[in-house]
Amino acid sequence: MGGRKIVEVPVTLEVPVGPQHPALHEPLLLRVYAEGEEIVRVEVNTGYNHRGIEKLCEGHSFHKSVFVIGRVCGICNTVHTDCYVRALEHLLGVEPRERALFLRVLAMELERIHSHMLANAVLALNVGFENLFMSIMLDRERAMRAKEVLTGSRVMADYIVVGGVRRDLDDSKREKIARLLDALAPRLEFYKRVFEEDETVLKRTVGVGKVSRLDAIRYSLLGPVARASGVAIDARASERYDAYGELNFNVIVNSEGDVWARAMVRWDETLEAVRIARQVLEKLPSDGNPVPDERKLPRKFPAGEAYTRVEAPRGELTYYVVSDGKGPNPYRVKIRTPSFNNIVNSPFMFVGYSLADLPAILASLDPCISCMERVTVIDVEKGARRSIALRDLAGGE
Amino acid sequence: MAALVKLKPLEELFTGRSSVLPGRVVLEFKPDDVRRLFSGLIEALGPDGFFISTLSATDLPEAGRVRLDYFVVLLPEEETVVFRTYLLRDKPVIQSVHDLVPGALPGECEAYDLLGVVFEGNAHLRRGFLAPEDAVELGEYPLRKDSRV
Amino acid sequence: MSGTRGSSSVRVICYSPWLVHFNTGACNGCDIEVLAAKTPLYDPERFGIKLAPSVRHGDILLVTGAVTKKAGERLKRLYEQMPNPKFVVAIGACAISGGVFQGSYSVLGGAGKVVPVSVYVPGCPPRPEAVIDGVLKLLEIISRGEV
Repeated sequence: MGGRKIVEVPVTLEVPVGPQHPALHEPLLLRVYAEGEEIVRVEVNTGYNHRGIEKLCEGHSFHKSVFVIGRVCGICNTVHTDCYVRALEHLLGVEPRERALFLRVLAMELERIHSHMLANAVLALNVGFENLFMSIMLDRERAMRAKEVLTGSRVMADYIVVGGVRRDLDDSKREKIARLLDALAPRLEFYKRVFEEDETVLKRTVGVGKVSRLDAIRYSLLGPVARASGVAIDARASERYDAYGELNFNVIVNSEGDVWARAMVRWDETLEAVRIARQVLEKLPSDGNPVPDERKLPRKFPAGEAYTRVEAPRGELTYYVVSDGKGPNPYRVKIRTPSFNNIVNSPFMFVGYSLADLPAILASLDPCISCMERVTVIDVEKGARRSIALRDLAGGE
Repeated sequence: MAALVKLKPLEELFTGRSSVLPGRVVLEFKPDDVRRLFSGLIEALGPDGFFISTLSATDLPEAGRVRLDYFVVLLPEEETVVFRTYLLRDKPVIQSVHDLVPGALPGECEAYDLLGVVFEGNAHLRRGFLAPEDAVELGEYPLRKDSRV
Repeated sequence: MSGTRGSSSVRVICYSPWLVHFNTGACNGCDIEVLAAKTPLYDPERFGIKLAPSVRHGDILLVTGAVTKKAGERLKRLYEQMPNPKFVVAIGACAISGGVFQGSYSVLGGAGKVVPVSVYVPGCPPRPEAVIDGVLKLLEIISRGEV
């Protein structure tokens, strides 16, 4: 069958950089070349999500930039603000109260839960299992509710500020979150079993998109993608930032390196996140108000440089902040999101697999939810062009 | 920083040492030595002994320089060390290392498009990879301090 | 045909509106709430609201994001591909005005810079209920012949 096909996958990323290749008309994430059904080459664009955020931060004060930073990525806004705020705290020599540090961890773990559930739900959808997608999304609402109880918002928390967190947690809210976690945990165990046992899922994910440990390291892959290939990296364990130094948790590693392994790492991390959240609720220190008095926060930052790392749901996220000590604005804010590494370096992962495997491999990288979109399949030989849903590609269409 | 001792074989490449908060060691090297540095890392630590986490370019117009920072994570300790070098602002050229360490690719492409750093040997560099078309048409590098965007 | 007052074909959309969702360079906060709005807890299908199988079947375009310069071109083309009658709902602060990205060298600042917007749903992001509510308000004003 020597047919030559090109598949164009339009997606956007949460990375703060981006637009498209000038030669292409559509803003694409991937352009996939196939001989018959086999993928022979992949080109990646960083999408069209460039909002000029790093430059924008230079034009705002350090404190105001916290609100821009949260909006780099709505899905993982808490880890972004945490990482940036900690860089500022290093520059200022400010240490929040213990209670605030624990609450930050709680927010970030609740975020990890919702993000991983979303990623695995989208994977389910992309292997043709729409009911499973809907079911996971319904249970995910509990995580959204828990986030809202803690931070006041389902998505955009704006919760972490220099010196602490924006609001405290009282006993009744603490109870509510504990109850939500109790309801969520057995559902997570159930989904993990589904992914371990269901024929549909296994058929489309086991042995698909395999990445060796060496490749994962050489290509700077991060997060669940790296850990599923046996690379034991986790910024929470290595940096022990906020309250992670006081909490017990495991770094989840799998050695299979395929789509299935990535999904399993996410389920296990989600369960681990519940355990961490429960520890936080149990051990929450009472060393005073975790909300800083913003009037007392320094406006002028001394000269200095800080580089902070945080374990976002998608992997290591880093912030490099430079202060020249001359004014209220940062001199430089460099943001490196995990998807920047994982997606831009991903082409090699697809080659040799079939077009029908494309949706699953892409979803296993957890790019962003817009990958639910329609893709364009160009049959070069026949000169035909058609648009189909990404997940329908999995059905061999 | 226990893992730092593993870098001893590369000692002669480092022309200076400083730090970045919180307590991250910065080792300065000459731009011409970038390939020696990374092939040296591969030899001393093994290709699975480290990865390039972040590549950051900073414009320093007052000093007439562009600063490049390679934030490298040493494995298995997962400790971050910063390899730092300075390029001339008027001719910010350095050799690419993406053939040695494929993980360098995204950072090199970004530093090129947003700040104008040329990584010789990287055929993937292109304007408009990140910056909007109007910036490209004007020949502007958005993250330069004197950029007109 | 779009916007003809009291046109019956315009009002027919109200029985079974098909949505197209387009992200113009967003943080995905609004996108995941639009996505959540399609799931069982919110059940938009009880209003007949469904996802269009393709742009050419879309009645209502939901736009998220601050509209980056590149995305603006695509947004325009997408809107042109939709058959009349068609309407646009701007979801979230960025789609309304550019949000926190106003003034960035890379951002146009709001869907209204490129396409005619009928309903604005504020929020950062708006809750799934607000997204559905915004669509329902649009249907209401369509059925009253006000758009």
